[in-house]
Amino acid sequence: MRIGVFVCHCGSNIGGTVDCAEVARIAGTFPDVVYSTDPMYTCAEPGQAAIEEAIREHSLDGVVVASCSPRMHEPTFRRTVERAGLNPYMFEMANIREHVSWIGKDIPSNTRKAAELVEMAVEKLRKDTPLTPAEFPVTRRVLVIGGGVAGIQAALDCADGGIPVVMVEREATIGGKMAKLDKTFPTVDCSACILGPKMVDVAQHPNISLYAHAEIEDVQGYVGNFTVTIRKKTTYVDWSKCTGCGTCTEKCPARHSVDAFNEGIGETSAITIAFPQAIPKKAVINRDFCRQLTKGKCGVCAKVCPTGAIRYDMEDEIVTEKVGSIIAATGYDLMDWRVYSEYGAGRYPDIITSLQYERLMNASGPTGGHIVRPSDGREPKTVVFVQCVGSRDPSVGRPYCSGFCCMYTAKQAILTKDHIPDSHSYVFYMDIRAAGKMYDEFTRRAVEEYGTEYIRGRVSQIYPDGHGQLTVMGMDTLLGRPVVLKADLVVLAVGIEAARGAKELAEKLRISYDSAGFFLESHVKLRPVETNTAGVFLAGVCQGTKDIPASVAQGSAAASKVLTLFARETLKSNPQIAKTIPGRCVGCGKCARCCPYGAIRENVANGETTVEVIETMCQGCGLCTATCPQGAIQLAHATDNQILAEVNALCQA
Amino acid sequence: MSGLTQGERRELRIVGFLCNWCSYGGADTAGVARASQPTDLRIIRVPCSGRVDPLFVVKALLNGADGVLVSGCHPRDCHYGTGNFYARRRLEVLRRFLPVLGIDPKRFSYTWVSASEGQRWQTVVTRFTEEIHELGPAPRFMDAGPLEREIEQPASSPLHSLDSASLESLAALKQAIASRLPELDLVLGWQEGRDKAHLVPLFIRTPEDLDRLAIGPLAVHNLAVYLPELKGRKVGIVVKGCDGRSVVELLQEKLISREDVEIFAVACHGTFDTGRIDQALGRYQHLESVRMDGKELRITCDGRERHFSLENDSSTKCLHCKTPLSPLSDHSFGSAPSVGEGDSTPPDLARLDAMTLDERRAFWRSQMERCIRCYACRNACPLCVCRDHCISDTREPHFTTQESTAKEKFFFQIIHSLHLAGRCTGCGECQRSCPVGIPILALREHLIRVTDELFPEYRAGMTVDAAAPLLTYSVEEPHIQEREW
Amino acid sequence: MNCYRFLAKDALSAFLAFLAERERVLVPVEKNGARSSVVFEEWHEGLPFTMLKSTVPPKAAVLPQCEVLFTCRRVPDEGDQNRHVMVLDDTLTAQPTVIVATRPCDARGFAVLDRPYLNGLYQDPYYAARRKELTVLTLTCPTGCESCFCHWVGGGPSSPEGSDVLLTEIEGGYLCQSVTEKGRSLLERSALPDGEDRLASMQEARKKAYQSLGRAPDLKTAPQRISERFSDLDFWNRWTEACISCGACTYFCPTCYCFTITDEGDPAHAEGGRRLRSWDNCMSSLFTREASGHNPRRKKAERMRNRISHKYATYPENWGVFSCSGCGRCVSNCPTGIDIRAILLSALGKEEDMISHGTQSKETGQ
Repeated sequence: MRIGVFVCHCGSNIGGTVDCAEVARIAGTFPDVVYSTDPMYTCAEPGQAAIEEAIREHSLDGVVVASCSPRMHEPTFRRTVERAGLNPYMFEMANIREHVSWIGKDIPSNTRKAAELVEMAVEKLRKDTPLTPAEFPVTRRVLVIGGGVAGIQAALDCADGGIPVVMVEREATIGGKMAKLDKTFPTVDCSACILGPKMVDVAQHPNISLYAHAEIEDVQGYVGNFTVTIRKKTTYVDWSKCTGCGTCTEKCPARHSVDAFNEGIGETSAITIAFPQAIPKKAVINRDFCRQLTKGKCGVCAKVCPTGAIRYDMEDEIVTEKVGSIIAATGYDLMDWRVYSEYGAGRYPDIITSLQYERLMNASGPTGGHIVRPSDGREPKTVVFVQCVGSRDPSVGRPYCSGFCCMYTAKQAILTKDHIPDSHSYVFYMDIRAAGKMYDEFTRRAVEEYGTEYIRGRVSQIYPDGHGQLTVMGMDTLLGRPVVLKADLVVLAVGIEAARGAKELAEKLRISYDSAGFFLESHVKLRPVETNTAGVFLAGVCQGTKDIPASVAQGSAAASKVLTLFARETLKSNPQIAKTIPGRCVGCGKCARCCPYGAIRENVANGETTVEVIETMCQGCGLCTATCPQGAIQLAHATDNQILAEVNALCQA
Repeated sequence: MSGLTQGERRELRIVGFLCNWCSYGGADTAGVARASQPTDLRIIRVPCSGRVDPLFVVKALLNGADGVLVSGCHPRDCHYGTGNFYARRRLEVLRRFLPVLGIDPKRFSYTWVSASEGQRWQTVVTRFTEEIHELGPAPRFMDAGPLEREIEQPASSPLHSLDSASLESLAALKQAIASRLPELDLVLGWQEGRDKAHLVPLFIRTPEDLDRLAIGPLAVHNLAVYLPELKGRKVGIVVKGCDGRSVVELLQEKLISREDVEIFAVACHGTFDTGRIDQALGRYQHLESVRMDGKELRITCDGRERHFSLENDSSTKCLHCKTPLSPLSDHSFGSAPSVGEGDSTPPDLARLDAMTLDERRAFWRSQMERCIRCYACRNACPLCVCRDHCISDTREPHFTTQESTAKEKFFFQIIHSLHLAGRCTGCGECQRSCPVGIPILALREHLIRVTDELFPEYRAGMTVDAAAPLLTYSVEEPHIQEREW
Repeated sequence: MNCYRFLAKDALSAFLAFLAERERVLVPVEKNGARSSVVFEEWHEGLPFTMLKSTVPPKAAVLPQCEVLFTCRRVPDEGDQNRHVMVLDDTLTAQPTVIVATRPCDARGFAVLDRPYLNGLYQDPYYAARRKELTVLTLTCPTGCESCFCHWVGGGPSSPEGSDVLLTEIEGGYLCQSVTEKGRSLLERSALPDGEDRLASMQEARKKAYQSLGRAPDLKTAPQRISERFSDLDFWNRWTEACISCGACTYFCPTCYCFTITDEGDPAHAEGGRRLRSWDNCMSSLFTREASGHNPRRKKAERMRNRISHKYATYPENWGVFSCSGCGRCVSNCPTGIDIRAILLSALGKEEDMISHGTQSKETGQ
């Protein structure tokens, strides 16, 4: 090789405590070094030009720069040598500033250390090979899993950006939890009114294909080239014929079906349309309650349907879509609060969840928007709200805060007063988390304008008093004494967890999740919508507790990641990735098991197994290289031999 | 800092492996803050602490490094998600392995420093350099002198009774194999070899083959070694306890598939140390008879009868055996002896425990001299599927040379032991196969002890759906304590 | 005319000291470990040694397990600083060595190695230098043992082939008989008393040794019968089933001599580079892998066929004698008990005494 070494003075940053000329002289004695010098400022324009000149004049095929940290200027100098015609990976840096000149003042020791660091860099460079990024074609379509507000925002931004979107939503309608809300804090906007137009946009956007009442069956492939299998769950209604007129739901004789959209409050017919603004507005038969499907006797909806859309023999359908990127926006579910036996474990009908209360308040809900007690249909006059039921509670395995309950409890207290002016509301709380824009002012309004009584303490027990009310026993820690209240209705702010089935989906997508099922982002501070799996992004509560504005922001953020990914026709892979040496692989599979990205694929040919690295998925960590006992898979630019070259330069006993 | 002045004292060789994303950044941050540090350390940048192969550390320590430091992102913060979880496990195992090699574990440290922790980095480097200077230059392996004192192998009593009860299962075993033979390509067992005192593997395909089946305390071979090369065939295998665990380990790693292997498990009551028997028999011309009677083996050759008993002449691995019956089987024969509590430190390992670090170095230096790199130990290991692709025999990658110095040969033993860490079931075939009797099993037994301490819920070769601890990770490690600085 | 001297048991150390005045003396030393073994080490005053047959054969004395063929350094060309030249140093130094208490099977190993290394088309200078400086003092075997079979292949417990001096144990000591000129001059130089009067004891001992051996089968047709078996892969599969492809047979064999060449170090570094020759093992799976990746002996049955054929067919075809010396180390060292005698007898159709490993399967195996 013909290596050039440049030992930078960096003014007096290095030159002040390192004899750079001496380092350059010593470097000249290293094997394959044909040119060495000590410029004053290597990264400056004249410095870089001098490197390019030296490459040409001395026919260099590799360059070592001894200067500042490579985390600072490695990309700079790689571009420099590339301009002079070298492969950018035939370049190494020795950090003699942050790691030498700035941390010690003894010139002889520093000089010796700098020379050794240069020697290590030279020895590594002698083992380096040119690397070229590979390019891959990309399917410029995106899959959005989940039709809640985050998924809707992501889909609309991608679609508006020209990317065809496939949206898959598990329920019969999109809208997620936001569609179930009555009003939203802090503006008390009607939820369906602000979400509705976006839902209609999704339905009408030419770039969005919506699969509702469908789930992800399987995901194969890698970034730019995913193949997704989707199960369209049967609705028993031919949606191409259904007009959403609702006649079937009026005539259906089975009136005791569990009302999932209304969170189990009230009953509904076996054939339903979720709610008036549902998108798609189509009927679905709940097979567990349908008399035709369970007993073979009925068929009323089929008779009354004006378009003949009912099909009792319909089955699930599997479809396949090819996409280049996936956004997971699967939201949340309330945890099963019935573990709190002290609150009745679900036995008492007048202890309900916050989401059930939303449905009671909502005009499209089971009571037409009238807040009534589920037990006897009477209006409650005293409503007690209990916060942190299943949040911040390690005893039920939920140590985290659910993030929005303080805010919606204040909202629900306010709305209760609007609905029932002579009502009185109490809120048992631990802390009030109202950090967003206008949030604290909103919670103050609940207290000051609406007379909600806030009691700082937890509730130890709720039970019926035998006279139609509920006894709520709690603690007022600010006054330092127990409190006993009589409530007509108790609303629990139940903690949230990742949506049912999140873990199984995560495994299909090859992303990680935490103990509550929330999907793991790449970096909690700096990369909140990316995952460690290339091409899979996150948006909304599925990534962690957050409110609607943050979910919308993440929807847009995820969309921007997708648009960046698809900005070019092809994807370039980072060439500092792992590669197998075919003759050495014995197919033991240890590397594939350890890869954090699932980027290693086993191939069987002629009865023999070997592995292959999926270039677009490998992120270059090198865990496979450290795991392989034969050294048959090597991380480019940090191979065993390259690292050993540095070790050997230092340890020669 | 403690008043170390750079120029006045001789530097020692300290090598650092720093992950690019956190620790190298932390070192940069320390530099930006002008946080002064001693100059001994030389930093090698790696993408992730998970990239650090423990063998890099060993290579450095065996070739002149006085100290080695590895630093990565704090667990949970790994730029690549899980790399440092693996690093934490592998490097902790390495740290606890070093003492049995005669290397002071204080010469190796691993820690976590984030990109913002410049001050912490300064503390780490300064403290570690001080510690290495307190220890002084590392003694070189090839300078180790002869072992000065004789250290007795301590007496050890077995955890379960050792006798020849396993022989009683032969008839039932033969019957079971006979009934399954039509559906299997072959069944692996043992038979008499060149004479009755030496059994060898038997590949049963016909009833005539089956007639020759022999079991018992002389059936020492671990037949699981043949399974990976028979992948795709339907193979039956007769196993004792330790070799049954090898089969489970192979299944765990998917090197063989469950549908293709049928396990005939015989409850083992101990095997003989055939090397010691051969040594006692010496050169003989005619073997007259071999009789096993309770705990005693009587061998008559050249007219002289010699007695061996499982109490005195069993393989040392049988003394601390806790699994006399394979944990997985399709057919089971005999009743396993009950296993007692007692101390189960293998005698060879106990002897090493009683030595100082210098003595251990001297011990291994002299033991490894007579190795001639025949690799019988490697090829007899059922879990070593690399065989001739081994990194000790290649320049891709170039960890060792072909030179036959004690150091190169010792390095191979370290490579093999570390590659087996967490997977080795202690079957002892490596040691049994060594024609010059180097007691290499002690190295693996020590690693079994280390992985038992660190991962008590795991034992190699017990359940098929477990995962070997160094091939997986966990976010919390109750048995690995981060060191304080 | 042979020269006979008597070496009394209690004069043994003094004799070794005499040898050590001029040369390095290698003696068998017993080593403790998981089992005891016997290796050759350099003798010095006070070193406990044994006269037992060594576990490791002494071929390392002429063909070290790893030796440096030459060193090389890349230095700038004096005429043109931009060019480099490679400076090679292949100085041979062979230390004069006496090896004491080898066995006739080991010494026959030297003779077997001599033919290709010295008498072939090219003489190997490294081997030649060491061989020239080597004196072999062989202890004849008092009996055979269950794993050795020297007399099958043309050797014997008292065979002089490859030795310079034969020592035979008799009452009170060893009768030393010179075999070569080198041996004779060594004995004459020593102060040992004459041994002619004890010749009868020596012959008696040797006769007893020979009689203790079993009957040797007639291996005259072995080369032909083995060659005929070349394409009978079923045969080779059956005999190789138990093999784990290690090197316990080849590395411990006194007559195996394959090697590989590797380069270590770096000529550009101050210490320079070195070309090494080290033992190689034809039973390991990558032994014949070529640079293209093709491997003509991927299957272990093919490798076993090669090893047996070399010892019993090809070497005899080239040199007229079997290269196996019947020492039996491959038999006693093999971790899975493969017995080369069984394979040989089976090839010859003489399976009477030997256990087989199981009849062949219908389809060809590994």
